[in-house]
Amino acid sequence: MKKKLIAMLLAATMIFSLAGCGDKSNNDDNNGGSSTPTESTPAPDSNGGQDESTPAPADEVEKPSEITILVDGTVFTEPNAQDKFIAKLEELIGIKINVIQPDHDAYYDNVGQIIAGGDWPDVMILSSTYYSGYAAEGVLWDMTEAWENSELKQRQEAYDGAGVVEGVKIDGHLYGMPAARGNGCVTYVKQAWIDQYNNGKVPTNYAEYSEMCANFVANGKYAVSAAGFIGSEAPYVNYLPEFYQDGYPSFYQKDDGTWVDGFTEDSMKEALQRLADAYAAGWIDPTTLTNGTKDCRNKFYSDDFGVFTYWAGTWATNLKTNLENNGLDSELVALPPIAEVGAYLDRIPPVWCISSTCKNPEGVFKYFIEAMQDGGDVQFLWTYGVEGVHWSTAAETLYEGTETEKVYQEGEFHGLDNLENPGTQYTKAHIDPALALVDLANDPADESRAAENLASSTLFAQNSKLAVLVPTTDAMSQYNGDLTTLKNGLIAKVVMGEMTIDEAYAQYEAEHGAEWSQMIVDSLNNR
Amino acid sequence: MKNSKKTKPVKSHKPLGVRINRYKGFYIMFLPVFVFAIIFCYLPMLGIRYAFTNYNGIKEPTFVAFANFKRMFEMPGFWSAFTNTLQISIIKLILTTFIAVVVSIFLNEIFNLHFKKVVQTIIYLPHFLSWVVTASLFSLILAPTAQGLVNSFLVSIGAVQPDKMIYFLGSSKWWRGAYYIINIWKETGWQTVIFMATLAGLNTELYEAASIDGAGRWGKMYYITLPALKNTILTVLILNLAKVMNLFESAFVLQNDAVLDTANVLETYIYYQSFNSGAIPNYGYTTAVGLFKSLVGCVLVLICNHLSKKVREGRGIV
Repeated sequence: MKKKLIAMLLAATMIFSLAGCGDKSNNDDNNGGSSTPTESTPAPDSNGGQDESTPAPADEVEKPSEITILVDGTVFTEPNAQDKFIAKLEELIGIKINVIQPDHDAYYDNVGQIIAGGDWPDVMILSSTYYSGYAAEGVLWDMTEAWENSELKQRQEAYDGAGVVEGVKIDGHLYGMPAARGNGCVTYVKQAWIDQYNNGKVPTNYAEYSEMCANFVANGKYAVSAAGFIGSEAPYVNYLPEFYQDGYPSFYQKDDGTWVDGFTEDSMKEALQRLADAYAAGWIDPTTLTNGTKDCRNKFYSDDFGVFTYWAGTWATNLKTNLENNGLDSELVALPPIAEVGAYLDRIPPVWCISSTCKNPEGVFKYFIEAMQDGGDVQFLWTYGVEGVHWSTAAETLYEGTETEKVYQEGEFHGLDNLENPGTQYTKAHIDPALALVDLANDPADESRAAENLASSTLFAQNSKLAVLVPTTDAMSQYNGDLTTLKNGLIAKVVMGEMTIDEAYAQYEAEHGAEWSQMIVDSLNNR
Repeated sequence: MKNSKKTKPVKSHKPLGVRINRYKGFYIMFLPVFVFAIIFCYLPMLGIRYAFTNYNGIKEPTFVAFANFKRMFEMPGFWSAFTNTLQISIIKLILTTFIAVVVSIFLNEIFNLHFKKVVQTIIYLPHFLSWVVTASLFSLILAPTAQGLVNSFLVSIGAVQPDKMIYFLGSSKWWRGAYYIINIWKETGWQTVIFMATLAGLNTELYEAASIDGAGRWGKMYYITLPALKNTILTVLILNLAKVMNLFESAFVLQNDAVLDTANVLETYIYYQSFNSGAIPNYGYTTAVGLFKSLVGCVLVLICNHLSKKVREGRGIV
């Protein structure tokens, strides 16, 4: 009897375990929203059901009552009071929001699964790769006309933000709306090193830059570090721009509109030679190949090297603060791009897309996407979060009695203690105020932003160009994985002196690299 | 006799329903496991069909028969990953097993129980470190800089010049050696557990008898310890041989662009095909590679089963 009882209990436990799994997926389904009123049971009063091919005039667009959004960790997570953020958003825009937020690191695995499952959310955040791929496959709603006729476009034009939106168009069609600029990297040089080893001279061209690197190395340290010789995502060359210059190892569109593979161009071969020479001369960190970005930052904070190309804006403050914490001179020069570089690369920003199965895309665009950049309360919420949860203007002291104690006066805007990582303050929500595409009225950041943050952002904004969005093709899907692996391997070996440039390109030919590249180029040009 | 009398009528005469009712406790206990296996082990196998299609996770898969396999066999990257997988896995297996045996024998020779336990604990510990931590640790130890422990030592003894330090993890020539050493460091201790268990079961009278017969330490080790371990060694080798195609984490965290020609294995090849293409991947192709890997794995299991039956007197592993 006892054995039977134990058997029953064990069986029940397993059944409940399985039921638990089932519950989770059910919850996901409920959150999945597309099967909620927005999709499988479209309620006329919630989602309209208008003809998707002809957008209704703006004043006739019906507000959806409920939408489902698929977001990554750039939107407040549950430990960061997502519920309060969404409640406030619902209050401001008058739409019920169902949020699906997979783990940030596995976001695109989940996006793929959800799209493959066919139960698409109304709105989703996508990176450039998935954006162009899903647009080509008809997953995304074409919002070109909605944007062209919107007040949002006017607001963005008034703030120089419309160019970023133009940059994410695919063949003249817009399938996703960036909430901010993609941002990019600028080259920071330690002022103390410039003063001590380079006679205070800030380089303006490659010859001067090379001289500076040589001077740094002559004093027993290497000059530059990066996480790999080539980045893992577009625009690939943004961590070592002074060496790549106009060389580009992947596909880009020329001024005449034709697509080419930059890897086979002379400019790339010259870039490889510069990198190889710099590595051989000891200018570049010998462990570059195995560095992660965190390794680079830690070495920079430990004064192992003096030239670091890293993100503009908030990171300028982070770098400075960490140098200070290590007792080092924290003054950094954000270097204007040297003459040969011309402009830093502004990466393609992630975009907010509306799925093609959304029943009322015009309504979602007008009342959700457009509202996100209204220049007022909704944009403020997306930029800073909820008052009393993520920010405050109350008189108070944070981190009292600690080394990082901060005292704020009544009316002084400040981020509150991070709920997930106590000891750090919130600086922004989803939209980085420094990268906004629309002017935010009464933006407190104008006063509260650190000088180095503002300086690097301004420098980047004035000296950057938008990276090119590469459309997806079948040939790219078939061959670019192998091609990228081959290219990256050859670049690493040339830079480290394991093979010459000629040997590398001979191997590139022999291992079908040129053949695959041509197939991809043809597919891009024949779309 | 009593038992056979009891079971025989049940087997041959009682109806199935009665028998199920009689053992319903077992059936109830078995049911969730059965459902679990169906849902999580067998239903996912339906995904195998994608290997014969082009499928990007959006549109309906289009049947392409064996086109993905044809493409796979034409790709130099695939063959490189395939041969790397076999070479790295098999050499790693042989090396770690051999070292584990040697360490076990040495541990067995330690008479001070306290010291023996301390040594065992120390060599077990690396097994519990994640591969990510291990990779970070060895990136520092093997760095081609003054901070790199190994290179500093080599420079201090004059084996390498300070300006020509060896980039162990960044050079195709050195990567595999470094990889094997890291694996030995991490996994040897854990593998000694099974050999130590075998040795613990050895009759000490054998050693006493050998001593009376004039055998020294080496003699006892050669004539008693090693033969006693022979079956265990073969069993461990055979069981692990069936898993040689499953290699991802250790290779992935230690590899980089410069060493992929020697370090890329099938599972990392699939990963790069999925996430390195700058486009929505063709899951049909990656499924085909995965299916091929599984087939090779199945063949290896069958071979191992055959070998196991020979070595272990008819006892297979499946």
